[in-house]
Amino acid sequence: MQNLMQHFEIIQKTPTLYALHVSIETLFNTLHHLRYQSDFITLSQLTCTDWIEEERFELGYMLTNLERNCNLMVKCFIGRDDVTVASVVTLFPQAEVMERELHEMFGVGFEGNDTLYDFALEDWQDLPPMRREFDTLAYVQSHYDFRDGRDDNLDVKEQIKIRKAAAKSAKEAQGGA
Amino acid sequence: MERKTITIFHGPQHPGITGNMSVELELTGETITKARTHVGYLHRGFEKLIERRTVIQAFTIVCRICVPEPDPNEANFALAVEQLAGIEVSEKATYIRVMVLEMARLAAQLLWMAGQSGSVGLGTVGQWSIYDRDLILDLFEALTGGRVYHMYIYPGGVRRELPEGFLERLGALLDYLQKRLVEYDRLFFDNASFQKRAIGVGVVKSEEALHLGYVGQVLRGCGLKRDVRRDNPYFNYAALEFDIPTQSGGDVFARALVRRAEMRESIKILRQVIAQMPTEGAIMQKLPKHRKFTLPKEDTYVAVESARGEFGYYMAGDGSEMIRRMQVKGPSLIHGFTLLESLLVGEELSNVALIMNSLGICPPEIER
Repeated sequence: MQNLMQHFEIIQKTPTLYALHVSIETLFNTLHHLRYQSDFITLSQLTCTDWIEEERFELGYMLTNLERNCNLMVKCFIGRDDVTVASVVTLFPQAEVMERELHEMFGVGFEGNDTLYDFALEDWQDLPPMRREFDTLAYVQSHYDFRDGRDDNLDVKEQIKIRKAAAKSAKEAQGGA
Repeated sequence: MERKTITIFHGPQHPGITGNMSVELELTGETITKARTHVGYLHRGFEKLIERRTVIQAFTIVCRICVPEPDPNEANFALAVEQLAGIEVSEKATYIRVMVLEMARLAAQLLWMAGQSGSVGLGTVGQWSIYDRDLILDLFEALTGGRVYHMYIYPGGVRRELPEGFLERLGALLDYLQKRLVEYDRLFFDNASFQKRAIGVGVVKSEEALHLGYVGQVLRGCGLKRDVRRDNPYFNYAALEFDIPTQSGGDVFARALVRRAEMRESIKILRQVIAQMPTEGAIMQKLPKHRKFTLPKEDTYVAVESARGEFGYYMAGDGSEMIRRMQVKGPSLIHGFTLLESLLVGEELSNVALIMNSLGICPPEIER
């Protein structure tokens, strides 16, 4: 790891977790180097975080070095709109489904991955739902009808008020006695 | 005569899986020529919901990410929040956490046994193992108030003190389960019906298992000694003695034997926990009120060993009381897609449920 730290600006976050930020231009080559030259042979997770106020996504490739029992998260900022990143399926075949998920949930494109069809959503036409601007409540209100519930349904807030009032009067009665 | 290829959907409800997931199969006769996994039947949007909740509110959701095995989620959530917020946990709380996780592992293995035996038509095994799992759930109910979802491992410690006489009850249950494991050997693992169906079926090669990120019994069933509890110890696993069982066959039977041995190791760990449990000490650190509980603009990745393999959480804070991003990494995503789709090709239709069950796929954690 020390050798690698001389070549890259790697930050140690915990005893077994390291992080490295790279540009989108050097992302694929860095991952290629780590995969074939530095024994980070496994991709465990591909993450995406939406920093909407900074108008960018942060991708995170969690690589694992099984010999040293450590994880290295290679992170990369990308724009939020119409951005395509080079697919890493040729380096890590398991990335195929991970990229498919991020494509559906965030709208990130992965060039070289030709299986970016539906993941968990079927015929989804709306905004990718994990983007921060996707309003879950507005979507639910416009697509579903609310049911009133059972006839004997209780107003929870009203019940709490009644319970608190009863406890208060019981306490006062106890104090008076 | 020309052989016809037909396409059928296996699932979304079938004995091979806990939850709903389907596999689109192309068949020539009884032989599978292509398999494609379909999920989406259980998408509840947990990761999205969590982004709009405070840390403490999000805690109530995470255990629901995997129904058969909720506790590793609670452990990961607590570990990630504690790491980001710089919270220390007492020794007693870590012992209790290990106890809960190992009880959960035993319960999950017993549930797996019911599914795996059901996939080969051995219904009696499931009746026994679900009964035994219920005895563990009784203890969970006494400890946490909940049988399946516990909401017990909390950032800063655990939520309740051990009830009086709890460790004695646990010790008695372990004595009982130790004897039952011998019965399970006779009924299930040594049963010729199961062995005939499981040996040589669903074989995973060790070289691809490492590269493609397989975890848990899939790795250990190929002879690879990997376990997060040993490789990157958390809580106080480093101080406990236990083995990492492995097998070399790589097939369904090898994975079953690994699980069998792991149940014995869990009992061994739980006995050590009972013997070493500190009698004094706080179980929970004092935490800020939930609106003042903020996470710094930092991120982390934590992982624990669930009953089905490495289970990780990526978590990023943004300086507010909300979690900016929490992404779950369970064993099921890679096992359910990358592994299953390739493993089923060339197999018989009757082996689909058998193979799926041996991989420990849990659809709710795929579509969080």
